[in-house]
Amino acid sequence: MPSQHQLRRRSAATTPLLLGLLLLTFVLVALGLGDRAIARMAAETLIRVTMVVGFWIFVGNSGVVSFGHAAFGCIGAYVSAWLTLNPAMKAALLPGLPEGLAAADWPVLPAAIAGGLAAAVIALLTGAAILRLSGIAASIATFAFLAMVNTIWANWTPVTGGTSSVVGLDRYITPWVALGWAFAAILVAALHAHSASGLALRATREDEVAAAASGIDRYRHRLLAYTLSGFFCGIGGALMGHFIGVINPDGFYLGLTFLMLAMLVIGGVGSLSGAVVGVLALSIAVEGLVRLEKGIAVGATTFALPPGSQEIILAVAMILILIFRPAGLMAGREVMLPARWVARRGT
Amino acid sequence: MSKLGVFDLAVRYGKLTAISDLSLSVAEGERVFISGPNGAGKSSLLSAIAGAVRAAHGRIEMDGEILSGLGVEGIARRGLSMVPEGRRIFAGLTVQENLMVGAGMRRDRSAIGDDLETVFAAFPILRERARSSAGALSGGQQQMLAIGRAIMTNPKVMLVDEPSLGLAPKVVDEVYDRLCQLQELRGLTLVIVEQSSARAARVGGRMLLMRAGRIVGDGDAADFAARDLLTEAYFGGAA
Repeated sequence: MPSQHQLRRRSAATTPLLLGLLLLTFVLVALGLGDRAIARMAAETLIRVTMVVGFWIFVGNSGVVSFGHAAFGCIGAYVSAWLTLNPAMKAALLPGLPEGLAAADWPVLPAAIAGGLAAAVIALLTGAAILRLSGIAASIATFAFLAMVNTIWANWTPVTGGTSSVVGLDRYITPWVALGWAFAAILVAALHAHSASGLALRATREDEVAAAASGIDRYRHRLLAYTLSGFFCGIGGALMGHFIGVINPDGFYLGLTFLMLAMLVIGGVGSLSGAVVGVLALSIAVEGLVRLEKGIAVGATTFALPPGSQEIILAVAMILILIFRPAGLMAGREVMLPARWVARRGT
Repeated sequence: MSKLGVFDLAVRYGKLTAISDLSLSVAEGERVFISGPNGAGKSSLLSAIAGAVRAAHGRIEMDGEILSGLGVEGIARRGLSMVPEGRRIFAGLTVQENLMVGAGMRRDRSAIGDDLETVFAAFPILRERARSSAGALSGGQQQMLAIGRAIMTNPKVMLVDEPSLGLAPKVVDEVYDRLCQLQELRGLTLVIVEQSSARAARVGGRMLLMRAGRIVGDGDAADFAARDLLTEAYFGGAA
């Protein structure tokens, strides 16, 4: 007979599988509806899952709110664009690119991974400075980092194209590609959360002094989570660029930061399942509201919400969740099969 | 050679002096109670030894090795573990996770299972509640968990700050019983802050009396009841 502890571990291992299954069902239903707009919404949602799960790896385990993760998306998107855009086009659009990048004509998958790695390296370097700060000071510093990246990207015109968009990215993102990356992010997030480092990081979130008295070096575990987190946000940014085909520094600024935070708060920052459920709930709500803004024809008249009501309704939803369900929709719980069921199947 | 040595220690918070010119020596396997009125510097002394508070002056040694400047986690890694005041457990984690956090830094992975068994044997309630959230435990159970977590770091010296704070007398009895059991089993050196000298006398051990940041009495805990040192410490007689 496996011990209680082993059963518990096996039961926890079902979380990423169930979340994967949930996303698979979501894709199948979205594609089954046969509406192109809905299929696009599904792909975009799964890209956000990749980003928000990456975001959660740091925020959920460390308890430190970051306002800087949209910047990692920016870095990932531009690195992937630099590596995959047609060299002739780059010569015209981005004359300041260094030779290696200007001539690069990489396949999309290695380019996305390179985007993630570049974001991870920047996370490691900036995190080394930022994460020595505690609590709110660290959060403010991540915000400063976001502003810095945005300013650099908006003004370094020969390399980034400045505020004018970079166009012509290969639009290869289907719901299936996005599903693959979303599942990879979920799997890595679950493995990290169950590792000794993930546990140590959650302990520092609960009580700094007691964690230190248990021999935990908070800085080291935070930096690891921040780097891992930067990687998946970078991947998410690369996917986003190749999904829309056009990138612009302002696409990875305050709007995205707010959206990522809202998704995490609504789903519940206390669990990985919360991050995934928050993205699904909010993306579906946004899609519904966008349709309402466009208007629904009933007989001869068309009912439509005034433009902009989507943002207001979402902000109100976030406030209501904070008031009535402060731990989010999942309230810190994970979806998992009960240990009893696992025991029956496992032996 | 003493297990733990404190030499000319001073701790200041801004202009406020919490501890001045304090020296003490603790032998291996000894049980030392630190008692005294509020504000005497008991917790400051413990925090300074554990590295949570920076000493303004003086040095702290364990086994002849200087601990000052290593930081709380560095000192914990060398085998000196603190059970902080107020049962500071990780409320959002399960009981078992709390214990595993204590074991996280250890290199001797194979001994962790045995130590977990030791803790569960000392505090059977923790085994029963292993999978529930630590925040749902009662006060006494949380204190046991905090002690168990410290044991999981495999310490040589353990500092316990006011284990009886806010607990019913019967529960305090149980906590001390188990603490003494664990001390014997592991050959621990224990330094415990305890307000009640009667309690310290019952449990038995050496007692240090502190007042205004200095040690004003040092002897067998049982003797303190007979002598008037306590009254002096509290009411400021000639010490």
